Amino acid sequence: MGGISFLPDEMPFYLTDGGVLRTMRISRTWSIIMYLPFLICFVLFLIVPLVYGIWISLHSWSVFGGNGGFVGLDNYIAILTPGNIYSTSFYLGLKNTLVFVAISVIPLVVISLALALLVDAIPKKLKVYFRTIFFISYAVSVTAVSAIFKWLFTGNGGYVNNVMNSIGLSPINWLNEQPYAWVSILVATIWWTIGFNMILFINALDEVDETMYEASSLDGANWWEKFAYITFPSIKGVFVFLTIISVIASFNLYGQTLLITAGGPAQSTQSLIMVIQQMVFTQNNLGIGSAMAIVMGLVMMAIVAAQYFYSFRKE
Amino acid sequence: MKSKMLLSVLLIVAMILSACGGGGSGSSGETADGKIVIKYINGFTGGDGEYMKKITDGFNESQDQYVVEESQEKDHYTKFKTGSYDLVLIHSDNLQTYRQDNMIQDMGSVLEAAGISPDDFHPVAKEQVTFEGATFAAPLDIHPMTMFYNKQLAPEAPMTYEAMTDLTNTLQEQDSNLYATGIPSGGLPEWFYMTIAAQNNINLVEGNHLNFAQDEFADALMIYHDMIYKDNISPAGLGLDGEFQAFMKQVDEGGSSVQTATALTGPWYYQAVKEAYGDDLGIASAPQLGDQPGVYGGGHTLALPASVQDEEKKAGIAEFLKYMYTPENLLNWADSGQAPTHLATIELVEQDAEKYPLAAQNVQQFDSFVGAPQLYQYREQVRYMTESVFPQLVGDEGMTKDKLMSELQKATDQAAQVAETAPQ
Repeated sequence: MGGISFLPDEMPFYLTDGGVLRTMRISRTWSIIMYLPFLICFVLFLIVPLVYGIWISLHSWSVFGGNGGFVGLDNYIAILTPGNIYSTSFYLGLKNTLVFVAISVIPLVVISLALALLVDAIPKKLKVYFRTIFFISYAVSVTAVSAIFKWLFTGNGGYVNNVMNSIGLSPINWLNEQPYAWVSILVATIWWTIGFNMILFINALDEVDETMYEASSLDGANWWEKFAYITFPSIKGVFVFLTIISVIASFNLYGQTLLITAGGPAQSTQSLIMVIQQMVFTQNNLGIGSAMAIVMGLVMMAIVAAQYFYSFRKE
Repeated sequence: MKSKMLLSVLLIVAMILSACGGGGSGSSGETADGKIVIKYINGFTGGDGEYMKKITDGFNESQDQYVVEESQEKDHYTKFKTGSYDLVLIHSDNLQTYRQDNMIQDMGSVLEAAGISPDDFHPVAKEQVTFEGATFAAPLDIHPMTMFYNKQLAPEAPMTYEAMTDLTNTLQEQDSNLYATGIPSGGLPEWFYMTIAAQNNINLVEGNHLNFAQDEFADALMIYHDMIYKDNISPAGLGLDGEFQAFMKQVDEGGSSVQTATALTGPWYYQAVKEAYGDDLGIASAPQLGDQPGVYGGGHTLALPASVQDEEKKAGIAEFLKYMYTPENLLNWADSGQAPTHLATIELVEQDAEKYPLAAQNVQQFDSFVGAPQLYQYREQVRYMTESVFPQLVGDEGMTKDKLMSELQKATDQAAQVAETAPQ
């Protein structure tokens, strides 16, 4: 308030005196200095690796032998043209990753929204405890999460099978048969990451104007109508954002499949990141690995862009 | 003001660069007291790590000229590829790849300086490290497929298919969840299919790649399918490391867990099974399921990175190898359960078989041991076979020889393509 009210008093000074203009320039200089660390880090850790990755993908590049020469788009042609080991691995990894994206994004968003609505409905004093409990799982490392769920879903004498056996159900070979392997990975992923989405939804729900609910109650709206016409439109921005980051997170599937199923059964849970990791660190082919990573990035961007435009097309 | 801005920018850049820079200690290759540092990296993060540490510690205590800095890393190959080391542990099946990629060098002169001859090792180990007449590594051990058995369930180790069948029949009469052994779909498939190839005298190498698509190999492989779905020797559905997990389970009445009397697995599980079974644990060679004796497994070797050119370093490495390959020192490695391939050490192990039961048992398998063929990117060549074909073989009850042959052809095609990526 004070700053704004003082401005008019300073205006003549600002307009007539060159010293003020110099002060403005100094201020701009300092602002550059203040954002320079960000700019340097952004360039060093984002732009340079990205450009360098694209550069490597256009070369025959071995982890051992280094740059073997410019090959143009050959690496991209190799991974996109069916019939060779690179494309076979790439399409297998992409297919498996897309399967996981397809089965995981909806539960990740919908279950976290449902949890957020539940937590939002309980008394304020208790809310903080439940919010913390649901969020704790997000702080656990993927290694620990994978160890827990591997133990739970082990086919031979695992916890889930023991429970099923005790209630008269036949045991399931969770980790070595499809679709159960995907179910196990999906359950582990939801348990692990649901807290993050839920917190963002709770914060969005806190921002919804309570008076709209009161008004709709007076108009006789039921729970579903309140959700459909007040809650959801109010949190739609967060909903779209979480859908987009859930797609991105699901594309980056790695730790769970590596540690719980090791890519099995029969390579059916081998994600694209696992394939890229093998290409670079086992086959030492950095050129092909980089090309795969770039194509994966483009596929992600295309899906996210489609989602974004679809979500806001009416607006 | 301009100078102030320049100073600020320089300060920021300096801070960022200092944050980006790694630690520089030890980069000179000498310690503060003038000792030459030998940086040695291996992947011994399990129970055997402390025994290797005993050897390096013993060497360091005996030295005033050199010091070995040992790094035990879970994924030591990645560290090795991206770091700078003077001595590296390489599995015998990786030697050809690292040699062709020029990551390791002929270490004949270093071994000679250490007073070590390739003839000091068991012939099968010598063969693994010899490429075109040159020695590219010092053999450390061979870890063949080993049988652990629970004497409570199997008083004697079943060494043939018939003995396995008899054992499983006896066990099934006691409890339908008890089996003779376990065939896993993940973890060690390579050991199972390479062992059956060795036991049927099948040569899988064709030129520069593996050729799995052979009639007799398909016939030989079907034995694992029969063990599960025909003769009930193994339970179905054992997953990653399932042979070990089923051996460690205890069946409960009315429960769904399955237990096996034997485990055909790697010797690295020795500490775990010893702890679980104590005096009831038996150790034996891999059973003969094919026409002749034969067993597959892995091996550790010590190689000299191509980057090591400093003669002083090489002299230090030679000193370290001389110390390590003194039988009394290498016995530490046998103490960990590993079976050394150094002939003089083998003699000591055999003389004291009670103290080194696992090593003593496994050195007996050396004569029938068949290691990985010397092929470029061998591990990538077997990937499809290991991760896709074998799991189908043991997981699909309806698997037929024709279906298997079609998958074996796919595995062969992939192996041939991987072989073509070798540097020319």
